[in-house]
Order: sequence, then C-alpha cells, then structure tokens
Amino acid sequence: MLTPANPTTQAAADDAILVVDNIVVRFETPEGPIVAVDDVSLKVKPGEFLSVIGPSGCGKSTLFNVVGGLLSDHQGTVNVAGETISGPHQSIGMVFQEESTFPWRTVTDNVAFPLELTGMPKAQRIERARHFIALVGLDGFENRYPGELSGGMRQRVSLARTLASEPKILLMDEPFAALDEQTRLLLGDKVLQIQQALKQTTLLITHNITEAVQMSDRIVVMTYRPGKVKRIVDIDLPRPRTSEIVGSEAFGRYVAQIWADLREEASRGMRDEEKHTLEHHKGGAS
Amino acid sequence: MAETLRLRRAAVPAPAVSQVTVLRVVIILTLLASWELLARSGWLYRDVVPSLFAISRAIFDLLSHGEYYFHLAVTAGEIGTALLIGGFAGLAVGILLGANRYLAKAFEPYLYYLGPTPKIIFFPIMIMWFGVGPGSKIALGTLSCFFPVALSAAAGMRGIDKVLIRVGKSFRASTWQMVTKIYLPAMRHPIINGVRLGLGVALIGTLLAETKLSNKGIGFLIINAYSTFDMPRLYAMLIVLFVLSIGANALVGRLGGLEGIKRF
Repeated sequence: MLTPANPTTQAAADDAILVVDNIVVRFETPEGPIVAVDDVSLKVKPGEFLSVIGPSGCGKSTLFNVVGGLLSDHQGTVNVAGETISGPHQSIGMVFQEESTFPWRTVTDNVAFPLELTGMPKAQRIERARHFIALVGLDGFENRYPGELSGGMRQRVSLARTLASEPKILLMDEPFAALDEQTRLLLGDKVLQIQQALKQTTLLITHNITEAVQMSDRIVVMTYRPGKVKRIVDIDLPRPRTSEIVGSEAFGRYVAQIWADLREEASRGMRDEEKHTLEHHKGGAS
Repeated sequence: MAETLRLRRAAVPAPAVSQVTVLRVVIILTLLASWELLARSGWLYRDVVPSLFAISRAIFDLLSHGEYYFHLAVTAGEIGTALLIGGFAGLAVGILLGANRYLAKAFEPYLYYLGPTPKIIFFPIMIMWFGVGPGSKIALGTLSCFFPVALSAAAGMRGIDKVLIRVGKSFRASTWQMVTKIYLPAMRHPIINGVRLGLGVALIGTLLAETKLSNKGIGFLIINAYSTFDMPRLYAMLIVLFVLSIGANALVGRLGGLEGIKRF
C-alpha cells in the first residue's frame, strides 16, 4: 500500500468490516437517566470471532440492539463495510437470546423465512434452507414444527435461519443462555465448526467466560454500569477449535485472566443490585 | 413439552362406550319419553306440545320442500355476509388498536361498553337505513360480529411475542410482510376464537332481526309458523336450526383445532 492521505481511516476501512464508533446510549428511568453504554468503540475484522463479555447490567444487550439497528436512539455510529447503518442492515444477521422460531412454520419454512422476504422462488429457497438445516445438523427434522423440538434444536433453527440470509456479520446475543451447560458446550462446537467453515465474521454477546474463550479470537470485557470497554484480550489458542480445548492449560489461564477482570465488575453489579433491593424494600415498608 | 403432551394423551384410555355417552343417551331418551307422554296426556292445549311423530313428519315435510332451502339460503347468505364484513372490519380495527397504544386507550373502552349491548336496539335504525329486506339483517349481523372479533384481535395483537417482531425487523420485513407473515399467523388463535364468538352473535343478531320484521329467511318462517299456529312445523324448524348451528360452530372449531396441533 502506498502512503494514503489519511492512514487511520484508510486502514480502518481496509481491515475492519464492522466499525462501532463512540456509541453512547442513555435511558430515562423513574430514578433518573442512566448511561447504559458509555463511549464504546469496536472494530471487527473479516472472518474474526469477537465476543463482548460483561456482567448483567453492563449494557451488552443494548449494544447488540444498536449494532443490529433495532435501537436508533443513540450517539455514535455503526459502520458495516464502510456504510453507516440507520436501522437493520442486510449485512448483519441477528440471533436472539429468546425463543424466536415461528411456531406456525416448519423448520424448513422457518429457515427459508428471510429468503421468502426477498421474494426468492419457492423451490430455490427450500433448497437453500435445506442446506443450512444440514449445516446446523438438523437434517431429518425439515418438516417438524418448533414445538416438536428441544430448546437447543430450536436455537439451531434460529441460527440456520439467520445464516440463510447470508449475513456478512453474524450478531448473536447470548444464544445459548437458556440451555444447559452440556448442550451449550456441544452447540458451541457446532457454532465454531460452522463459523470456521464459512469464515463467518461473528460478534457474540455473552456473560459466559468459557463460551467466550472457547470461541473467540478476541474478547472485549465490559465494565458494569455505565458499560465501557475495560479491556480487550487476544485469545491466542490454535484453530480449528472444539470444546475439548476447555481442558487445556492455556484455556484455564485465559479464563482466570478474564474472570479477574470480570469479578470486580460483577461484584460491583451485585452490590449495586443489593443496594437497590434494600432501598426498594425500605421504600415499600415506610 | 411435546413428549409430555403425547404421553398424557396416550395415558387416557378410550373405552368403547364411555359413562358420559351412556348418561347422555339416558337423559335424552327420558326427555323424549316425557315429551311424548305430555303430548298424549291432553293436559295442555292440543298441539302446543305436538307428538314426536307429528314433529318428525313436519321435519320431513320441511326438508322435502324447496321453499325451506330458499329461506335457509337467504339466512345463510345474510350471516355469511355479516361475518365477512364484520370479521374483516373487526380484524382491521383490532389490529389498529393492538398496534397503537394511544388509539387503544382512546377507543377500546367504547368497544367494551358497546360489545355486550344487545344490538337489536339498533334494528329500527337499520331498517330505516337498509330497508326491510336482507340489508338490515346483514347490518345487524355485521354489528354483532364486529365487536368480539375486534376485541380478540386487539388482545391477540398485544399478545404477540415481541421477539418475533424483532426477528421480522432484523430481516427488514416490510409493513405488509410484518402483517401477513408475522402478526396474522401469530394471532391465529385469538382471531379464530373471535370469529367463533362472532359467528354465534351474528347468528343471533340476524335471526332475531328476521323474526322482528322481514319477508324472507328462517326467522321469517319461524314467526310465520307461529302466527299460523303450526306447532309441529315450528318445532321442526327449531330442531333443524339447532342442528345447523351446532354444525357451523363445529366447523369453525375444527379450523381452530387443526391449527392447534401446530403450536407449542
């Protein structure tokens, strides 16, 4: 590259596919305004797996909604492939924490949903849907309804549905939070496998340290309210990874390091919550 | 969840003749026998309680003449039209109220007040507006049907799982796509329930209007039989109408039941 006129922006545009710049989100509450997200900036490189980890109340779900374009009342900008977003963007595919499959649609029709919205012919979208159903390992369940599947399987349907829209960036908000630990680890394997196969750029919001270390190239640790970036940790573990890595020594060191950072924040959050509960209790008693 | 449902279903044995069925048959037979005894006893004016034989013959006569089917078609057409107009109007208003908090706050209380009001009080106005023919009956049926559908749709709209709406938005669905692919299917149970209630009240409204003032339709036939004191025919029509209502309700219920399999 020859000396560009503006080296920083040029470099940013070149190697980051997602640029989150100085995001500030304030909420009005009955107890006065709170700053949920305070000046958060992130850059995600193509093919990178980045996790944002923080205690409850650090504004990470708010950040998820901002990046996904579902929350527009904020300061700062979100850039996707050089384009500033103003609402949901086709390059970003969201997977939600809550149960989000359509109960009235079969697995195939659920996964084909984003393709249906773009007006893709039926035969074509069913073929595409089947490809992504196989990718998440649900072949054989194409014609089942979500109500007939387990929670982990339904979450895989949601993942397949988002992947079917072929987003440049996969944005996930604690997608396995409602699942048990073993299912979560195995599903993590699946996500890793898919992410590595598709070289899928991924931004994962989580509060689970194991999950974050298992999957990420980098982890952004957030502070408790107001949510700021506390530290960014590079996870230098070999790829391809599976859940077996959980037993390795290097893995343990990363977990310990992140927990040391997170512990302080989480206990701040806990004290804050206790204080609130006490005040609430007093208020109620008087 | 699905497993437990299936287990529960399998655990209930289905005997050839249940106790309920036996009880039902016994009660019905007893009622029929008492009726026949009363008819033959001569305690009441002749024909006020016609014999089962006379009623059966009247049913046969009724169903073997084309005239009845003409009137049936008139009434069915009125109810169907009322259900269609009232249903769609109710659905549209319900979705609007469900989607907009301010509109709901401003107008939904009126729906609750007007909903249970007997719509027959509006019949004189309807006659003046739409005439003595089917028009005024359709108007009354529509008015009856509108309220339960609108209220169910509004409640159903508010009951939609918010995350499904966020999913639709994240995939950049248009407003029309949101309505047809997310709102309406997500509201299918409350809507079907509203339509069932709507059908019931449309039936009542239309027939009531026909018995008040009309020149065709089932209600007209019933009042006609009453004024000529043709009791067997009157009972015959009531019985046939009763069976038809059960059939119509079962049909709508079946639509709802089939849908029910596909939910969580």
